[in-house]
Amino acid sequence: MRIKSVQQPHQAELSTELSANEKALREAFQACSDIVFRPICFNPKILLIYVDGLIDAPTLEKVVIKPIQYEGGSGGTNEEPLSGEAVRNRLVALSQIQTVSEIDKVIDGVLKANIGLLVDGDNRALIADLKGFEFRSIEEPAAEISVRGPRDGFTETLRINTSLIRRRIRNPKLKMEPIGIGQFSQTDIVISYIEGIVSNTILEEVRSRIGRIRIDGVLESGYIEEFIEDSTWSPFPQIQNTERPDIVCAALLEGKVAILIDNTPFVLIVPMTFWTGLQAVEDYYERSIYTTFVRFVRYSLFNIALLLPSLYVALSTFHQQLIPTNLLISIANSREGVPFPTFVETLLMEFMFEGLREAGIRMPKAVGSAVSIVGALVIGQSAVQAGIVSAPVVIIVATTGIASFAIPRYNFGTAYRLLRFPVLVLAGLLGLYGIVIGVFLLIIHLINLSSFGVPYMSPVVPQVPNGLKDVFIRAPRWTMNRRPALFSGRNKTRIPKGQQPSPKRGGAGG
Amino acid sequence: MIGKRAASVGLLLSLLVTSGCWDSSEVNDIAIELAWGIDAADNNRIRISAQTIVPSKFSGGSNMGTGGGGGGKGKPYFVVSSDGLNTLDAVQRMQTKLSRRMFRGHRRVIVIGESMARRGIKEIFDTYSRDPNLKLRTDMFIVKGSTANDLLNVSYPLENIPGLGVLGEYGQMGTPQEVGLLNFLLAATSDGASMCLPTIVIGMNNASQGAQESEVRSNADKEEGFRIAGSGILDKELKLVGFLNLEESRAMRWVTGNLKKLTVSEQVPGEDGNVSIDLQRTRSRIQPAMQGGRLKIHITLTGRGAIRENNTRLDLTRTANIKELQKALNRHVEETTLRTIMKVQQEYGTDIFGFSDVIRRKDLSLWRSVKDDWEEEFRAAEVTVSANLTVRRIGVTGPALQLNPKEIKK
Repeated sequence: MRIKSVQQPHQAELSTELSANEKALREAFQACSDIVFRPICFNPKILLIYVDGLIDAPTLEKVVIKPIQYEGGSGGTNEEPLSGEAVRNRLVALSQIQTVSEIDKVIDGVLKANIGLLVDGDNRALIADLKGFEFRSIEEPAAEISVRGPRDGFTETLRINTSLIRRRIRNPKLKMEPIGIGQFSQTDIVISYIEGIVSNTILEEVRSRIGRIRIDGVLESGYIEEFIEDSTWSPFPQIQNTERPDIVCAALLEGKVAILIDNTPFVLIVPMTFWTGLQAVEDYYERSIYTTFVRFVRYSLFNIALLLPSLYVALSTFHQQLIPTNLLISIANSREGVPFPTFVETLLMEFMFEGLREAGIRMPKAVGSAVSIVGALVIGQSAVQAGIVSAPVVIIVATTGIASFAIPRYNFGTAYRLLRFPVLVLAGLLGLYGIVIGVFLLIIHLINLSSFGVPYMSPVVPQVPNGLKDVFIRAPRWTMNRRPALFSGRNKTRIPKGQQPSPKRGGAGG
Repeated sequence: MIGKRAASVGLLLSLLVTSGCWDSSEVNDIAIELAWGIDAADNNRIRISAQTIVPSKFSGGSNMGTGGGGGGKGKPYFVVSSDGLNTLDAVQRMQTKLSRRMFRGHRRVIVIGESMARRGIKEIFDTYSRDPNLKLRTDMFIVKGSTANDLLNVSYPLENIPGLGVLGEYGQMGTPQEVGLLNFLLAATSDGASMCLPTIVIGMNNASQGAQESEVRSNADKEEGFRIAGSGILDKELKLVGFLNLEESRAMRWVTGNLKKLTVSEQVPGEDGNVSIDLQRTRSRIQPAMQGGRLKIHITLTGRGAIRENNTRLDLTRTANIKELQKALNRHVEETTLRTIMKVQQEYGTDIFGFSDVIRRKDLSLWRSVKDDWEEEFRAAEVTVSANLTVRRIGVTGPALQLNPKEIKK
């Protein structure tokens, strides 16, 4: 794997003297207890360097050391010393081998879980790939669960992740461009796309934005996301992340670009639109009629999550005329004796709900149930019984909470959870007028937002009629003939027309 | 760029202070008033009464808190009243008796005492259309033989708030609800038409209808409930001039098109028994014409319905029998309606049927010729009524089941 190095401390070339090379390398790896220098007594002398724990040690023994030691000089020890070329030829069992001639390349290779192999009398070193470190196996992603659909999820290992994608798209047009980022972490990043389907301008933009990053280390995809997103000061995520390979493949087929980062199961997908934040993976696996209904429910809940507490505050403190009489009477009844104004009451309960949610995430699993008991009993029951808060507010906050969890993308939901508070304050100050101001500002912001040059609200604003098949409804798959117009490349045709299933189709006569 | 952004933020923030919407009030700081009474008081003043809910007395609410004191004990409403020069003056005086701000946005019912209605409500009615906090979807009633204050004090067994009981009873009459105030204002501004308001009487027994007014009044607090008792006729000065009974007021509503459903019962001529029909889709058509210098108005009433009661021996599966029933019912409707119209023409001369509006819409030149002395023209108009009821369904049996087959008339 060719990785462009950011770090250039040793410019020195390798010398032909093995001892000189070893000295230079030992100096570089001073006080690194996990680096193994393993000389092999042979003619000529060979030195293996690798990081302990990152190498498949048994295989190393079997395919590297044994062949060299026992079968090496086929004609005995007095034979002519083997050249580096000859050694290399003997290591065909290893998958990736490259020859380097600078010390820092050797260091680089060794740190990236390769074996460095230096032969005395040769001023070139072999970097052989023999990764063998421990990694988590493929599991179902915990944060993105579906009833129907593949159960595999990305892991922390980049190669496994790329293989999961390659297994789904077996076409040489699927490209995986490697980049290394992070002065210290030297993290491997892969930009994945399908040639011809991807829009070249977006791909160029991704390459240049990632290429610009100067950072000491990349520990999660969030590090990259913050460097390449369009607008930092927006609550809305402009880059989608997922743990599911099927989502990534679907995005690639739409012409999007995926960014895979080593050591994290979260893959970034650009560009993202507002509507992808509201689409769950199962939308495409379940029947389209049901999905359309579910989307209707989801969009309603999504508006409830943003507006319900504010509407309650606005209506019950400014516009009591708008509440049906009987409802107003029961609200008035439950508000008797409540010490706080409705606005403060709602804010308090919303705050407590956010607290509960936060505590529930961080809690160790063993005490997790305690949170829900305390939450349900103390907040719900006791607070109402004690007359601290009124029952409608508890209902409103609970409904809002449930609604906010109905948003499929977690980080998209957090945006709405956050925006609830400013809208609530506006409602408390100005009533419905304030809510209208809040919603207007939100819409203006969303329309201004873009992700890698693609308008965030597309295909609704600007409107792309063909794209609307997958926004408010989910049309059957055979009707989605074209890729998204705004961010796919030359190859726009996705599914040839005229594939509506029917017993009469194709003259088979059913 | 920075300056522009700061300026736009500043402009947006200024929205917060320029608005006039600082009138927030908590639900437990307002006294929600659902029914409103207007009475005449001494010295040409008026007395306003308001039926206000007591939220904590409502049962079924979830309030188990300290302030609630347990729901369900005592009446969930109370009536507060005050005199004043006009409505707002009275409300201000009333406010001195209320710990919470009077909230009139949920008013459903306005009741007017008979004495107030006789005095005329033209002078006091401006505020009901001027105040933006009041809603137009309110119904108006005249309390026959009593004061509005008395009516509001009467409890009603079916509803927590008696004011809503008035509304419910009115709705069961088959009239469009929540348009009373609106219609009232429309009719009051019309050139020729006069206004009719439904009347309500304290007490559920018909017996007390004939009783002396004073007697009714003294019984007000003991009496439970109230009933719709027809309509009160207002003249152009919005003064009460007379009453229509229930049957007459139904006929009046049918003619004006304000009736959605109706049950007509009639003795069948030549038969020993009577029938009832449940009418839906009642419509009316008014055709004015000038013939020989005399205004002629022809009214066609149509309706379709189902026979729900048949106390005759007729077998209703026979179309001839149904025809006979229809004829009897038609005649009954025609007679009742004509009688009502003639009574109004002769006794009051107020056009409560909206003839003037119809003439104006259909024949403007005719309207211009009769406009100036409309009252006289109305009194002198020759009115004919024809009813055309259609029996659509006869129920699940033909003849009455308890009859011996020999008794059934085919």
